[in-house]
Amino acid sequence: MSDVYLKSVAVMDTVVTIQVCGRERDCAQRVEAALEWFLRIEACCSRFDEASEVRQLDAHVGDAVRVSDTLFEAVQFALAVAEESGGAFDPTVGRRMELRGFDREHRTGRRTHTRFEESAAVSYRDVSVDPEHRTITLRQPLVLDLGAVAKGLAVDMAARELAPLGDFAVDAGGDLYVAGHNPHGVPWSVGIRHPRLDDRAIETIAVSGAAVCTSGDYARRAPTDGASHHIIDPRTGASTCALASVTVVAPTALVADALATAAFVLGPVHGAALLERHGVDALLLTPALERRIVSGSYHCFQA
Amino acid sequence: MSDIARSRLIALGSAAVVAVYAAGYDRTRVAASQFAGDDTHRRAPVQPASPTAVAASVPSAAGAAAPDAPAPLTPAARAQAPVAITTVAAAAHAAPASVEHAPRAIDSAPPSMQPVVVAAKAVDTIAARAAEPAVEPAHAVVAQWKDGSYSGWGTSRHGDIQATVVIADGRIASATIAQCLTRYSCSWISALPPQVVSRQSAEVDYVSGATQSTNAFYTAIVEALSKAK
Repeated sequence: MSDVYLKSVAVMDTVVTIQVCGRERDCAQRVEAALEWFLRIEACCSRFDEASEVRQLDAHVGDAVRVSDTLFEAVQFALAVAEESGGAFDPTVGRRMELRGFDREHRTGRRTHTRFEESAAVSYRDVSVDPEHRTITLRQPLVLDLGAVAKGLAVDMAARELAPLGDFAVDAGGDLYVAGHNPHGVPWSVGIRHPRLDDRAIETIAVSGAAVCTSGDYARRAPTDGASHHIIDPRTGASTCALASVTVVAPTALVADALATAAFVLGPVHGAALLERHGVDALLLTPALERRIVSGSYHCFQA
Repeated sequence: MSDIARSRLIALGSAAVVAVYAAGYDRTRVAASQFAGDDTHRRAPVQPASPTAVAASVPSAAGAAAPDAPAPLTPAARAQAPVAITTVAAAAHAAPASVEHAPRAIDSAPPSMQPVVVAAKAVDTIAARAAEPAVEPAHAVVAQWKDGSYSGWGTSRHGDIQATVVIADGRIASATIAQCLTRYSCSWISALPPQVVSRQSAEVDYVSGATQSTNAFYTAIVEALSKAK
């Protein structure tokens, strides 16, 4: 049973907790550095913050804007997922989310306002990136929503910062990265939240050196109608309902979070196909709690 | 591994992580940095915990909370800081919003339900944001709160949580879980933030997809702070 160093911050609309096993000399400093990434990436990527870099970018339509590496990589990755998923994942849904009542930072109730009429046809194709000059161009007025990508990226940066410590876990409100062993000296055991019974895990997996992210229909309900949830199909603008949750295990939280969101929108058949194509491990649960397993290189879900 | 290697997306994801990490801190905030001066409350970079800051923040258990404390808490020290949650001096402003749990042996018995004191900075981020009027420009001055003790309720599908915030010298001195009327044992909240989601299974280290429980705490804190204006 090893000692545990534990620290949490309130950031990115959730609680981020880092746990390190053992007593490395530079543990506290590395944990600080890891947590710092969350603040930094939030300051860059939050659509709820007028001062964020992404909101500054939103204000420049038609110009090739030189952006920070964080924003560039986040947007480039989001566009790649959009392409791979045929638009089921789309970082340009920000405005539509606002209109459906997701216009407040969940934690504080602080409201965001954008002041333009977005054309109905806005999609990820209206955003282009130039890897050589590190610029991003918006061809239409739109609001970028980098929520899933930013949180995943921050988890990954934290994990990289903590890597020399060996045994650790990063928990960003249910988006996880676990490495090495838990304090009991065995691989971390991660529960997958039961989509209908919120005090239960529906499945438990043992995993290490991987990110585990879950997209569910239970997380945040729209203030406008109370029934629809926070993941909308960018292609239709409606909430999707073919799945109750999708959990993805992948080498990075960036990938796990984005693919879980995309698969959730695509539904059990096309979603599973997307996940299989990318070689990740996944558990898809329908509202009737039917399971669909995607087996990747971690082999963590048993049929 | 061949599956993983085949995926363009997975390769791109890993490359992005490397690129952002390599770029480091300075170049990460091209636009946001323009506002750093106005937004230091929310954006203050996290300074590595300095020994003095730690000492100042944990008068009763300073040794235990020091990053390189030599040994797990002694039983006596544990009694002083039952869940190793610290009360931080409100003046420690450069620190991040945080709840610091002193290093502790994991096998220490779970504390019984006691008032849980969360480090002041744990709610400072929320506080700063909550204090800003909704449509106020980004350079709005962060409000100071009136001194006193304020309570607020937060609701989740689990049940309700009452939080009490103590304001001293216009700043949050402490935040406490005053009442916890949830369906199941509140003992897990004593480990707030919920690093071990014991409500689901003691066997589980973490739960993927579990975000619900913390929100009631935040709602309660925000409500409490709204009364302190």
